[in-house]
This record gives sequence, C-alpha cells and structure tokens, in this order.
Amino acid sequence: MQIRVERLRVRYENFELGVDSLDFPANRVSALVGPNGAGKSTLLKALSGVIKPVAGSIFVDGQELARLRGSDRARLVSYVPQEHSAALNFRVFDFILMGRSGYLDIFSSPTRADYQKAEEVVSYLGLEALAGRRCQELSSGERRIVLIARALAQDSKIILLDEPTTFLDLKHEMEIINLLRKLAEDRGKTIITSVHSIDLIPRLADFLFMIKNGRILAAGPTIEIFQAELLGTLFDYPLRVVEAGGRQLILR
Amino acid sequence: MTGSKSKNKNRAILYIAILFPLLLLFVSLCLGTLRVSLREVLEILLARISGGPADLLTSPAANIIFNIRLPRVLLALLAGAAFSVSGASLQSIFRNPLVNEYILGVSFGAGFGAAASMVLFSRNFPPQILAFACGLLAVVLVLAISEGARNTLVAVLLTGIIVSALFQALLSTLEFIASPYALQALFFWLLGSFSQATWPDLAWSAPLILAGLVFLLKLGWRINVLSLSDDEARSLGLAVKRERILVICLATLITSAVVAIAGIIGWVGLIVPHAVRGLVGSDNRLVLPVSAGLGASLMLLADDLIRTLFPYEFPVGILTSLVGIPFFLYLIRRARTSWS
Repeated sequence: MQIRVERLRVRYENFELGVDSLDFPANRVSALVGPNGAGKSTLLKALSGVIKPVAGSIFVDGQELARLRGSDRARLVSYVPQEHSAALNFRVFDFILMGRSGYLDIFSSPTRADYQKAEEVVSYLGLEALAGRRCQELSSGERRIVLIARALAQDSKIILLDEPTTFLDLKHEMEIINLLRKLAEDRGKTIITSVHSIDLIPRLADFLFMIKNGRILAAGPTIEIFQAELLGTLFDYPLRVVEAGGRQLILR
Repeated sequence: MTGSKSKNKNRAILYIAILFPLLLLFVSLCLGTLRVSLREVLEILLARISGGPADLLTSPAANIIFNIRLPRVLLALLAGAAFSVSGASLQSIFRNPLVNEYILGVSFGAGFGAAASMVLFSRNFPPQILAFACGLLAVVLVLAISEGARNTLVAVLLTGIIVSALFQALLSTLEFIASPYALQALFFWLLGSFSQATWPDLAWSAPLILAGLVFLLKLGWRINVLSLSDDEARSLGLAVKRERILVICLATLITSAVVAIAGIIGWVGLIVPHAVRGLVGSDNRLVLPVSAGLGASLMLLADDLIRTLFPYEFPVGILTSLVGIPFFLYLIRRARTSWS
C-alpha cells in the first residue's frame, strides 16, 4: 500500500512544511532524515492524519486521507510517537489493546477477536513477560517496543514512526531496526520512519527522504542518494561516506 | 499466574462495589430517630411491592421509610455514584488527577443555575435545566480561558477558581435579592444536604443521573484512549474533540442533576477515583463501575453518620469538604513531584 503526497502544505506550531510531490513505495522501509526542526515530525503527523494539511492532498492507495473517517484512517495508517507520557498507568496488555480502537464503535469495548489480535502481537514480538506489567515500570527501550506493538495491533498496512531509536542503547536500537526490516519484508508493511542518527540509514532504509527547512532536499533509493555531498548539504557539515564490509559508513 | 490472580481480585472488588451499596441501602433505612428493625424494613418494602396489608403500609414506620428515608437514601447513593464517576472520567480525559467537578467550576455553575431557577421561577419548574446549562457554561469558560496555556494543569486549576468565584458572586447577588423565606431555603440547600430529598425531586434527577451513568460506563474504554495525548488518540481513530465534549457533557449532566436537588457537595469526585485507581489500576472499564459503587457507599455512609451522630442536620457538604480539602492538598504535594 503506497502513500502519495501532492502539493502539500502543512502548518504546525509556527512551522510550515511544503512538499510538491512525493511517493512512498509500498512494502519498503523509507527513512526521513534532516536536521532538528527540518519538518520530519510535521510530515509524519500529516501523513498519519493527526494534523490536517492547509493545502494539497495525501493519498493512501488512491484514497484521500483527509476525507476518511477517523476509524477508517486508523485501519490504514498507524502512528508511533517518539515518547508516550501517560497520565494513567495502564497495564501493558491493555495499552497494546488500545490499537484496536479504530475497529470499535464509541460505546463498545474490545471483543474476543480484539483480544486475540493483541495476544498475537504480544507473542510475535515476544512480549509475554511485559504484558502483565504497568507502562510506567518499563524502560525506555521496552516502551518503544510496546508503542510499536500497539501499532501492530492496529493492523494497518502503513506504519509511521517518529525517531523510534533515539535515546536507546545500541542493543535496543538494533532490535528496533531489525524489527522494522522484518515488518517490511515478512509482513509486507509500508514503513516510514524519521531517523535521528544517519549512521543507521544504510542498514535500515530502502528509500531515503532528505528534509531541510520544511522542503524536500532529495529523495530516492538509499543506494543512490546516500552520498557525502548531499548529506553534507543537508546537515551543513562536511561528511565522508566510506565503504567497509560491503556497507556504507559515515565518517564525520 | 499473577495476571489471572489480579483479574480475580479485580472481579471480587467489582462485585463488592456493586453489592455493598445495596446492603447499605437496607441498613440505612433502619437508621434514624425512629429505629426500625431490618426485618420490619424488609416486610414494609415487600408489602409495598406486593400490595400487602394496608395497616402495615399506613403505619408511621412505613410512612417514614417511604416518604423520608427512601428518597434520601437513594439520593445519597446516586449523588456518590455521580460525583465519583464524573470525577474519574474528567480526570482521565484531562490527564489531570486534580480535576473534578468542583475544580472545573461545574459545582458552583450548576449551583447558581439551580438557585436562579428557584428564585426566578416557581419550584414546580425543574431546577435541573438551568443547573445543567450553567454548569456547562462554567466548564466551557474554564476550558476556553485556560486553553493554550503552557502549564495546563496549573492554568485549569487557577481558571477554575476564578470561574467558581464568579458564580459564587452571582449566587451572592441572588441571595441578596431573594426574599427572606427563599433565602433561608437557599442557604441550607447550598451547604449540601440530602435531608430535603423528595420523590418529585428524584423523579427529575434520578433518570438523568442513571442515564448519564450508563453512558459514561459504556464509554469506559473510550475514556481510556482519550487519556492518551490528543495526537495518539486521533491516530488510533478517535474523533478526539467530539468524544471529549460528549464525556464533559455527560459528567456535567449527572453532577448538575445532583447539585440541583442536593446543593454543593464537593471533593467526593476527587477522593473516590483516586482510591479506586489505587485498588484496581487505571483501566476505566473497571475504575468507573467500582468508583460508582464505592462513591455511592461512602456518600450514604457519610449521610448515615450525620443522621445518627448529630442531634441536628449537619450539612453533608461541609463534611466532605472538611475531609476532601486536606486530601486535595496531599495530592497537590504529590503532583509537584510526579506530574508536570
């Protein structure tokens, strides 16, 4: 399932993002990269339908996102925020179950089928040990996985993530990278994620979208555009890309 | 497994929360200046239902139980359930443990509305209507003024105080222009008491409260999701603004329906949900019904205490404030460290 963006203009907290035209390919991992405040999160929020564009359109499989009902949208696109700060301390399983809300009408609670779906996600991600605990007891790495689990319970073809690995230690970072690849390759999910550390991109993303000052600087397959010159322009800092072990590495 | 153990524990708490107020209802009917045994109470109730012996039904005890105690006891139960469920719902959707109908200005808004109705119209006009309208106006004012503030938690508290003060001033104006006779009634009603409960009052308020409670309980899962950030709730498919307004309207409705006949009884909606979350966790599918049961029981117990311990009618609203305010201060102290 692919996402297409046309002449999009989004305003969010005194910030304006303008994108002429973009295509995010289906069943692949796409990474959004750029300096802080470039507009990555704003673009993700627009793609998820959380904020409405001022002008232009976002099409998901030919359907215009802004015209969909909330629940229909939630079945197509899920959104994993960077952090979750909860007022209430839910049980991890109930938290994951919230991913099913788009399938429920306003006065109903999750059904047996919803519970089954959430249990399936828990066992797919191996979260059995966490499921009975409370969200506020989790480490930040565990919390990120649980947020992804909720998106998987949502069962949408497209998953958007806002810097899912920031502040994580190496092991958890790699766990999430591998999980995102697996979701695209084995489960046919379309993954679009913003990435803070560019070192991860060659391992993670099939496609790369460089954003600077609310505009797209470059977009294309990672192999083609992961270049020192473009990255240097993107971050206003000279960088070198070298190859080692068949993989591209950044030198700063 | 700890999971199923806690599930069983929660189920047990839920059953107790449902059964305890019922039990308390029968016991409370026995209490008062005229002692009636539980057996007699049950006989009278049964006779009433089955159309039993006329001499039993016309006895002084039957008269007291039906016309004085039963409406009072039912009103106390409904009030406790309404304040607690509305408090728990509002705390969740505002993501703020300090919020309740008192803080949001609903109590004084509804109080002013009901008082205005009593002074301006005849007593036959249901005060619930103006109470609800003014209660809603108060919340809308609080939300509109505090919107966009950097620290919403503090902003809502401060605005709530200001809006409550406004409606208190309006209330004072009413008291000033009211006739001495109306003034006395107004004064005692405002302090918060179930002693004046009558069947005609309940006939208006009880259906509103029960309907509001049913809808809020059915919204339990939604209220869980609404307690997440707006962005998250929206991405999970909720129409956040509309659903939040629905919860606020229902919470205001049940609170106003109580205030219209029992006056201002604060702080129950703060204490009960907090205790319940400590017992059963945060899931509102459980928190709301348990709060309803526990709130109803506590309110009735408080009223029973007043009826039996004090030689005169001490307003229950004063009692709940004397207990609630120190508890509120304790929560504020904790909030300073754990909420921002």
